[in-house]
Amino acid sequence: MMDVGRHPNIELMAYSEVEDVSGYVGNFRVRVRRKARYVDEQECTACGDCVPVCPIVKPDEFQAGLSTRRAIYIPFPQAVPSAYIINIDECLGDNPIACGKCQEACDKKCIDFDMQGETVELSVGAIIVATGMDVYDPTPLDEYGYTSYENVITSLEFERLISAGGPTEGHFVRPSDRKRARRIGFVQCVGSRTAHTAANPDGQRGNPYCSNICCMNTIKDSLLLKDHYPDTEITVFYMDIRAFGKGFEDLYMRSREMGVRYIRGLPGEVEEEPETGDLRVYVENTTTGVLEIHDFDLLVLSVGAVPRRETELVRQLLNLSRTGDGFLMEAHPKLKPVDAPTRGVYIAGCAESPKDIKDSVTQASAAAARAEILLSAPSIRVEAITAVVDPDLCKKCGRCAPVCPFSAIIWEKGRAAQVVAAACAGCGTCAAECPFDAITMRHFTDQQIYAMVDAILEEDPLEKLVIFACNWCSYAGADTAGTSRFQYPPNGRIIRTMCSGRVRPDFVWHAFQKGAPVVLVSGCHYADCHYINANRNTVRRVDGLWEGLEKYGVRPERLQLEWCSAAEGQRWARIMQEIEKLRATVTAEEVEQTRELLKGKKVPTSSKVWRIKEPTGAVMRCLRCGNEWEVVFDLAADEERMCGACRSNSVRVILKLESGNS
Amino acid sequence: MSDEIIDVGTFDPHFCDEIAAEPGGEHIRRCFSCSTCTAGCPVAGATDKYNPRRIIHMALLGMREQVLRSDFVWLCSVCYTCYERCPQDVRIPELMNGIRNIAVREGYIPRAFRLQVEKLRAHGRLYEIEDYENERRAEYGLPPIREDAEEVGWIMDRMGVKGEGG
Repeated sequence: MMDVGRHPNIELMAYSEVEDVSGYVGNFRVRVRRKARYVDEQECTACGDCVPVCPIVKPDEFQAGLSTRRAIYIPFPQAVPSAYIINIDECLGDNPIACGKCQEACDKKCIDFDMQGETVELSVGAIIVATGMDVYDPTPLDEYGYTSYENVITSLEFERLISAGGPTEGHFVRPSDRKRARRIGFVQCVGSRTAHTAANPDGQRGNPYCSNICCMNTIKDSLLLKDHYPDTEITVFYMDIRAFGKGFEDLYMRSREMGVRYIRGLPGEVEEEPETGDLRVYVENTTTGVLEIHDFDLLVLSVGAVPRRETELVRQLLNLSRTGDGFLMEAHPKLKPVDAPTRGVYIAGCAESPKDIKDSVTQASAAAARAEILLSAPSIRVEAITAVVDPDLCKKCGRCAPVCPFSAIIWEKGRAAQVVAAACAGCGTCAAECPFDAITMRHFTDQQIYAMVDAILEEDPLEKLVIFACNWCSYAGADTAGTSRFQYPPNGRIIRTMCSGRVRPDFVWHAFQKGAPVVLVSGCHYADCHYINANRNTVRRVDGLWEGLEKYGVRPERLQLEWCSAAEGQRWARIMQEIEKLRATVTAEEVEQTRELLKGKKVPTSSKVWRIKEPTGAVMRCLRCGNEWEVVFDLAADEERMCGACRSNSVRVILKLESGNS
Repeated sequence: MSDEIIDVGTFDPHFCDEIAAEPGGEHIRRCFSCSTCTAGCPVAGATDKYNPRRIIHMALLGMREQVLRSDFVWLCSVCYTCYERCPQDVRIPELMNGIRNIAVREGYIPRAFRLQVEKLRAHGRLYEIEDYENERRAEYGLPPIREDAEEVGWIMDRMGVKGEGG
């Protein structure tokens, strides 16, 4: 950290917040608010004279609340810049009647209560997001008694207790009586690998993923304890020890050899002996099948990692995606592990997933190198597949700008929209949204797609399945089905688009007018879109089409919506078979009738953009099997819409319920 | 458990499918044997006959006869402690109900339960009401309880519940 502070090419902005990010790769403009420290960081020598006079005592966040700090403090000893800071919400102020003692104590007069925060505008070429993680709060796991018993602590609190820079200066004592703990228990997987997640109505008892670092952390802790106090009895309760990295198994073996007991089985109950503060743990040893009782002086809960809540703000500013577990999503899990989907933005460390120091350093080095490649190039190459706005046709309505997942469209009221080619990723949702055909999607123009629809339906239209498949998932899924030799009906005709968001409602309308029996729109899984969230627009448009078809008396199920990933060849084959079954129910008369019904009818455009903040309920109907069910959901969140009975994604909201109504 | 030698050839590999098809038993395959259920179970604390993790493990191995014929599946007191704590959401009390349903269909019902059914049919409740109880109730100003065996019997007939020997 000191190296970073001293490096001539690194400007460190501590105690600052990113407020806004605009621009695109190579030309980002970042607005940063530097909050007032109330201490001149250039002048302050960190002598500490101000601290003893400060009357405000607060729990020290860095020491996990195990010791105290004053309202004027240094967050932790190695903090850079090495200067004091006043938490102005806690400070009594400089009014001589109230306080102002630190100002008197400071020889160098570097405390300034009139200091103002300032906003700084930065021009940067690339952005690396390394916002870290938090640890799980084990309060909901009441059987471990974290909130009831003083001697039940988390692994983070343990870390402070055994650290030489900690509140006890490295003398390892337990909280209740400040005596050395001789019998110590560790409980693994606290808040990790559980099905009782936030999505579960029974309550949040953790996260479904393995937090990666806790096993090795416990093994390290056990060795540390054995080094400091060889007579300590250590017992670790686990369900699986995951010591997978280089040298990790050796460490685990060494810990066992040093006498640390590893018992497979998680405790079911922890009780405290009120007089001594000792803890009694009930656990089944699953290797023997015997219910055991263990007594400890101290119990350490090895808590898992959770995404930082503040990262959400950065995520929204930078247009990043996140995976189902809440960590930031990389552009490609194997080939672009440090790139964000937005060009010029990179991710490093635990913001992406829980990882140890070595992996964080590896990823950070990779992200720095990736950014350097970008910055050292005089110009960058972009794919030829980008959107172009015809300024003569553009009616300046501005509907294209909000649907762009990359914020690549610049639009101001009264001005024609403009596409920033360097930021455009080529999904085509803007072209599908434009009501005036003013946006041309290069290599996937409207004319090309209409021509493909026409060609498909030229001969025997009743026998054909018109399919729109996105390039990255569904088209690749069809490829997988082919290379894996899965059998499926041969009469599907696929029109490839870069994203399912490119599918203009007019294309589907045109297909039905030309006599298509069924149309399928297929894309990446809902929360897993290659273009961040462009396929949300697909759902919105298909919803509008279903409404329109029903209004004009056409069976809405003849338009189907599906998500299929590149690996799901078998799923693709199954979808094809089901769509073919559906096609067999459509007769020549029905197709003819549809053509009559839709003749001269306006294409339904779904102008409504989902902006439901409160969770609402809805009645959903599956258009494949007719199953109906009620859900409580928030359309603004990443809600996967799937029928529980037939696993189809052609699911329609048929009735919206107000919140509390369901 | 015991020293007896078990013949793996007698195991039924489809037993866990059978349980998974039973309402309540859907999540049986999720169990990764962490033993959170057993460690917190009040019944397991009282008797080592009952061990939910062992029952699930036996079921997953396919020890159909041993599980169904045993009386330990009937010991679960349905307190839902394990349901709350299970990290894999196996829903153990409902799973036990599922296994009991299969056991009943196969005719394995512990005698105590049959006797309870008898009692229910005879008195309309699980305890016989005699003059003593009603006298005590009268002392506290409570209305007397009368036995309503007929209605309960009617419900039991409709539901196809039979007592011992049935």
